[in-house]
Amino acid sequence: MIDIQFLGLVNATLQAATLLFIAALGELIAEKSGVLNLGVEGMISIGAVSGFITAINTENLFLSIIVGIVSASLFSSIHAFVTVILKQDQTVSGLILTILGLSLSSLIGKKYVGKKLNTKLEGVFDIENPSNILEIILAQNIIFYIAIILMIVTAFVLKRTMFGRRIEAIGEDLKSADSMGLKIGKTQFIATCVGGAFAGLSGVYLTLSYVPYWTDGMTSGRGWIALALVIFGGWKPYRTAFGALLFGFLEALGPRLQTYGFEMSPYIVKITPYVITILVLIVLTILKNGNTGAPKNIGIPFFRENR
Amino acid sequence: MNKFLLSKKLYRNELATFYSFLIGFLIAIIVGSIILLIQSKNPFDVFSLMLKLSIGSLNSLSNSLNKAIPLILAGLGIAIINSVKLWNIGAEGQIFFGAIALNFVYINTSIENSYLYIFLLLASGFIGGSVCILLPALSKVLFGVNEIITTLLTNYIVFGLTIYLINGVWKDPNSLNFPAAAYVSESVYLPTVFGKLSSGFLICILFTLIAYYIKDKSVFGYEMRIAGGSALTAIYAGISAKQKAFIAMLIGGGFAGLAGAIELLSQTHRVSTGISQGFGYTAIIVAAITGMRPLGIFLVGSLFGALAIGGSVIQTIGVSSYISDIIQATTLFGALIAQFFFSYEIKRVKDD
Repeated sequence: MIDIQFLGLVNATLQAATLLFIAALGELIAEKSGVLNLGVEGMISIGAVSGFITAINTENLFLSIIVGIVSASLFSSIHAFVTVILKQDQTVSGLILTILGLSLSSLIGKKYVGKKLNTKLEGVFDIENPSNILEIILAQNIIFYIAIILMIVTAFVLKRTMFGRRIEAIGEDLKSADSMGLKIGKTQFIATCVGGAFAGLSGVYLTLSYVPYWTDGMTSGRGWIALALVIFGGWKPYRTAFGALLFGFLEALGPRLQTYGFEMSPYIVKITPYVITILVLIVLTILKNGNTGAPKNIGIPFFRENR
Repeated sequence: MNKFLLSKKLYRNELATFYSFLIGFLIAIIVGSIILLIQSKNPFDVFSLMLKLSIGSLNSLSNSLNKAIPLILAGLGIAIINSVKLWNIGAEGQIFFGAIALNFVYINTSIENSYLYIFLLLASGFIGGSVCILLPALSKVLFGVNEIITTLLTNYIVFGLTIYLINGVWKDPNSLNFPAAAYVSESVYLPTVFGKLSSGFLICILFTLIAYYIKDKSVFGYEMRIAGGSALTAIYAGISAKQKAFIAMLIGGGFAGLAGAIELLSQTHRVSTGISQGFGYTAIIVAAITGMRPLGIFLVGSLFGALAIGGSVIQTIGVSSYISDIIQATTLFGALIAQFFFSYEIKRVKDD
């Protein structure tokens, strides 16, 4: 028999990891094409609130997931428009996307604060009391499995398909990509919106499954941890998934430390994921000697001088 | 077939940033009106009420300017750090840490002369802000760790620390429902200039001039621009880019820390979660929208202070205060769009 506390820890780790991973994977795709989007936090928030409102009003969870994805993707198209088409600063635009996303979702969600969802995303397989790790995994809901599929598909598309190679070419060498005749603006625009869609799915997971209610600022920095995860994963899907499990484990471990005999103020426990994220980033950068493997053109808007 | 070609304008209008801001603000007002209309509120009524209650009387005007102090100071800090092409997203945390440092010094010292004491406390706030950015700054210059993420995550750490302190060692037993530290003595309150306007605003004017001098007039500012511009030029000029970046970050963090200290000594009078209501984030918008110009930050910061006051008073007629946050963010998006038309020319050419 594995004890029940440990299973709880595994379950919480998987859930926290799913949330972080989907958002990080979306950001990875955008960054691969050379578009840095610091608006992850805002996009997750938009996805979370729109999915939640749909779920409260329609009780149709499938529709809610779709609405969350689409609205976050549309929202990210603001960033794509400003940075890809109008060639403005990606850092500024992304930051404002976060600020706008957080305030907009607070405005939209105001009437829904404190409301409880009657329906919740159920596990794919009907398991009453999971008693081992396999059953814990099987008891996860549909978005967990979508995350796994997305991981495999994204890794395949980026490495093995023409579209993926184009994204990488644009992210690594704009001039060559341009002379090869690739449609740079179009590819970057699509990659950014796909990134937004992923963040939206992550947001829907937050409000339909992780914590089934809505409050202001409930994303609590997860978008930023997702950004750190992309760096941690060295812009590779599988390594990012590993990072998500690690960060998810740390997030899940915090509130449980007491049960394992560590006396710690709950307020201090709350800040440990952020402390650890910073420390991990520092250690990782030292190990890689400053060369994190980032796409070379990240943050640089493409502009072909008039000929 | 027609094709569109982009070319960079050779001469950019000197006032382009200013015009872009105006256009952005106009767009934001339109977007805000649409949101209000959706909520079946009359935008004209709401905006005129906002205007009246934010700058309509001496009292409300001083409230607005008080609100502008942290926006301007934190914005100036962000602008100084941006001279070396680095971003400080951690102003929110630095504001809190400035207040925490102030309270720490206040608890452990006692000085008779209240002016001297106020000066010491403000200085500890500034230093607190610098301490708060120390880890991101060191990890940036020593190892090249992305400062955007580290400064941002520091916000969550400092906010958690604040909550820990005001629920634990610093908890005021007299404050039952709202966890906060004990009040500081009235002798160290910042005096008011006229009406409700805090003398913190005078400090704010002084630091705007200091920031302008550092950034645009001093040798250090020139070296910062070179350090942030091109690594090779910096090497040829014998400028240590890392050293400049490090100093710039400490100064910039200090500006935000000072904002926290002023906020404590003039508004909250104690450490609580109310020290900052997202000022550090709004300051990013203020700094970015002005193209990191200190005098512009002063003006836009004052305007956004009025917007924040306007936003908080319209809650009484059932309009969400988030509308002013949305207007602020949309202003910057609008300004970015306008910037494009000031920097690029679109030519239509026949393709044959």
